[in-house]
Amino acid sequence: MSVASLSSAATAPAAAGPGLSVRLGRLAVSAALVLAYAIVFAPIVMVIVTSFFDQEIVTFPPEGLTWRWYLNAWAQRDFARGFLTSLQIALAATAIGVPLGTAAALALVRGNIPGRGIISTFLLAPLAVPAIVAGSALYMFYLRAEDWLDLDIKATLGGLVAANVLITIPWTVRLVTASLSGLDRAAEEAAANLGARPLTVFRRITLPMLRPGIVAAALFSFVASFENLELNLLLVGPGRTTLPVAMLSYLEFRMDPTLAAVATAQILMVTILMLVTDRFVKLSRIV
Amino acid sequence: MFALILPAFLVVAALLVGPMVLLARISLNQYSPTQLMIEATTAQNYLNAVSDPYYRGVMGTTLLMAFACTALTLALGFPAAYRLARMESRWKSLVTVMTLIPLLVGNVVRAAGWLGLLGNDGFINASLRGLGLISQPLQLIYTPGAVAVGTIAVVLPYMILTLSSVIESIPRAVEEAAANLGASALTVFRRVVWPLALPGTVAGCVLVFILCMNTYATAVLLGGSQFKMMAPAVYDQFSRGMNWPFGAALAFILLAATLLLTVLGTALLGRRYAR
Repeated sequence: MSVASLSSAATAPAAAGPGLSVRLGRLAVSAALVLAYAIVFAPIVMVIVTSFFDQEIVTFPPEGLTWRWYLNAWAQRDFARGFLTSLQIALAATAIGVPLGTAAALALVRGNIPGRGIISTFLLAPLAVPAIVAGSALYMFYLRAEDWLDLDIKATLGGLVAANVLITIPWTVRLVTASLSGLDRAAEEAAANLGARPLTVFRRITLPMLRPGIVAAALFSFVASFENLELNLLLVGPGRTTLPVAMLSYLEFRMDPTLAAVATAQILMVTILMLVTDRFVKLSRIV
Repeated sequence: MFALILPAFLVVAALLVGPMVLLARISLNQYSPTQLMIEATTAQNYLNAVSDPYYRGVMGTTLLMAFACTALTLALGFPAAYRLARMESRWKSLVTVMTLIPLLVGNVVRAAGWLGLLGNDGFINASLRGLGLISQPLQLIYTPGAVAVGTIAVVLPYMILTLSSVIESIPRAVEEAAANLGASALTVFRRVVWPLALPGTVAGCVLVFILCMNTYATAVLLGGSQFKMMAPAVYDQFSRGMNWPFGAALAFILLAATLLLTVLGTALLGRRYAR
């Protein structure tokens, strides 16, 4: 032990609980935690609160509280249709991306594949490329393909779902890989040694073990696709707009309780999905 | 086994790599106000973007915002992540879910919240006026500061989750040993926790930096009309300007700057870690 640390030990208050520096440190750490979560949650709480304000323009203090903006929001065609469009896109993209991503993750973790690292980086690349750049590239690609094929792609359901599969595949690969890597191979080997065919091993052992990873992947994929703005921004069109894009165009002109109601509905949906998933899979263990 | 990977591989190749190659090709084309685009092989779009003071300013704003937000997010996120990592497991799972929810709520929703908080009649100004501290509303919204706060709120959960999983893997006993040997709290942090958590810090900072460089909704909604960052500038070229070659060049400049800085940062911090 060095002399310096010996001498600092000597100056530390002995047997009087934690020293002042430790207590100050703990206080600072707790303060940072509180401040961090305050910043993260302030806008969310704000949105929820203003959705109940009984006046057109958001001013404080509110004149009263009401539910009517929720009905008003649903009556606005842009929001209702945006919601349904986003729902369709996210569901379809999840239904396509999760099986593809799970298959790839399974092969990457359990198969002896050369260049595994490169393939996995490649499959995760859509998350690393800035969404606005990928969206511009897809926009150009769709316009070019429309010329060649003489077919509408931009602002069609098919075009938007295809784009969103670029979100659901990497999220699935990431989460299923993470949940698979933590699993023991012994059970599968035991089943195989006891005479189970590979397909039976997969169906009876691997798949049940994979289930938490797949559930988490499906949830994240759905939500990530539902709330995505940047990738879809150039791919939507009049008549087919996603909810985040509809909200953005609305907010560029005004912020009012109707929009807050739409946003609150989205917050509620995400929260419920997260809590439900957390009952099946401990999210804190997967992410 | 390759058959399992192939479908996902093909989708990414067809919908990401293909379009990116096309975008790269377009960035070398020439813009024409009448025909939109003329086939060419010229670096003119890149040169225009780099030499134009306006776009240099946009790039400068983007870099400054990304660096400042990453630094502040680390400063705030590290202690928060430390606290989370050292919680009892019951609380930990609750706080982890609490961290995940905002991450999934979407940037537009949160920008809406900041508009309500920071607006001239918003919560903060109304409260200050109610307390008699100000008579005129403070200009909080449509400032670079509003964009910074909005961005930090978006990226903090990513930083906290990345860091806390790394800090969790540092045995508590190591810290206790250092403390028992007489190290002050600050020394334990500086000599034990920080070096051991450095890989997580690098990963978190890289992730957050990329997100900050590409801020879109927060910049558009909270920055006001005078404030411009790269991602909205790219979008403007495609949607309003219709100058596709120039937009494509801007997109690749943004991509290249992000990649270069993250690689550089990882290398620099990684070297310090190795030493």
